[in-house]
Amino acid sequence: MKCTDLEALICDYIDGVLSGPERSTVELHLAECESCREMVADSRVALEFMSRTADVDVPPALVNKILFEVRTGGSAPVRTSKRRWISRFFEPVLQPKFAMGMAMTMLSFAMLGQFTKIPVRQLKPSDLAPAKVWSTIEDKTWRSWERAKKYYESLRLVYEIRETLSDWNEAADGKAVQKPATGKDTASPEKQVDKPIQKRSQSDNKSS
Amino acid sequence: MVERCLRGEEAAWEDLVKTHTRRVYSICLRFTSKEQEAQDLTQEVFLRVFRTVKSFRAGEGSFTVWLTRLTRNLLIDNYRRTKSERVTDSIEDQLPMLEEKTAIESRTDAMLAGREASEVLQGALAKLSPELRETVILRDLEGMEYREIAGALGVPEGTVKSRLNRGRAELARILRRQKVVV
Repeated sequence: MKCTDLEALICDYIDGVLSGPERSTVELHLAECESCREMVADSRVALEFMSRTADVDVPPALVNKILFEVRTGGSAPVRTSKRRWISRFFEPVLQPKFAMGMAMTMLSFAMLGQFTKIPVRQLKPSDLAPAKVWSTIEDKTWRSWERAKKYYESLRLVYEIRETLSDWNEAADGKAVQKPATGKDTASPEKQVDKPIQKRSQSDNKSS
Repeated sequence: MVERCLRGEEAAWEDLVKTHTRRVYSICLRFTSKEQEAQDLTQEVFLRVFRTVKSFRAGEGSFTVWLTRLTRNLLIDNYRRTKSERVTDSIEDQLPMLEEKTAIESRTDAMLAGREASEVLQGALAKLSPELRETVILRDLEGMEYREIAGALGVPEGTVKSRLNRGRAELARILRRQKVVV
């Protein structure tokens, strides 16, 4: 028989509760196995020493303390359940990993601000006044709206100018194409020469 | 008694606490070796009993086994939680331990007993692994049945007996090193 098979029996053997055949099996094994014999001897030594020790003295105030704790703990079951509900509600936020994540996010923003040179101004308590916050939001909204409106109007003006210019260009091109088709500008060069003469005579009249 | 507690009888709670405090405190003190810690843990055990006594089913075992299981679970939780603290403590504790050892050595001829033996045993138990320690405490110091210990620890009876053999042998070796036993 192996030592491991006898472990449970050895315990009962030390307790002295084994029947005749089982006891003789253990004794036979102990006669052959030195390590098991040593274990039995050690167990008896330990048991003998433990039997000599004094009982534990309970502090006199402990029972009263426990009863007080139990009473105060029991008198407010609603409070504890409420507290538990609140703690359960905030449980995901109060995790160390969440705190670490928040810290990392803040650090990232701080580093980003540092690199992009975004001016950071210290927040004052007066900045958090509702009236001030509201007026700031209103002002910013109005400014943004006005800016968008101006941008749209400027865009429209530019578009209109471009349209007008392209119309004029088209009109000028149309005239240029029409003239060679009639053949008038090559046939009468005198008429072209006449115009400055006419203009000159008009200016002469005005000066006289 | 438990049924009376569940009915909300205050006197029943008082009886329950008075009946079981010694046992719970004794297990806690033997396991932790620190009086204040044992007192705190005993209080915590009874608070847990108060909160979770509804989950106790009489058909699934005795109240003593249920209470011992609760105590044991709390002790193991506390053991794991305070593991890092114990590492630093053990270094600080080395000097007084050496002084104690020389004091014990000087009186090996006299047989240690009573409170003195209890203190030596406390130190020796602290050197055992938690599995062996809890088994020795429950069987040899609290006198629980193997079946009850198996129920409280959630292991088979064979494992309890095996741990007990190893725990007792280890304890004897420690005591022999301290020269308090031959």
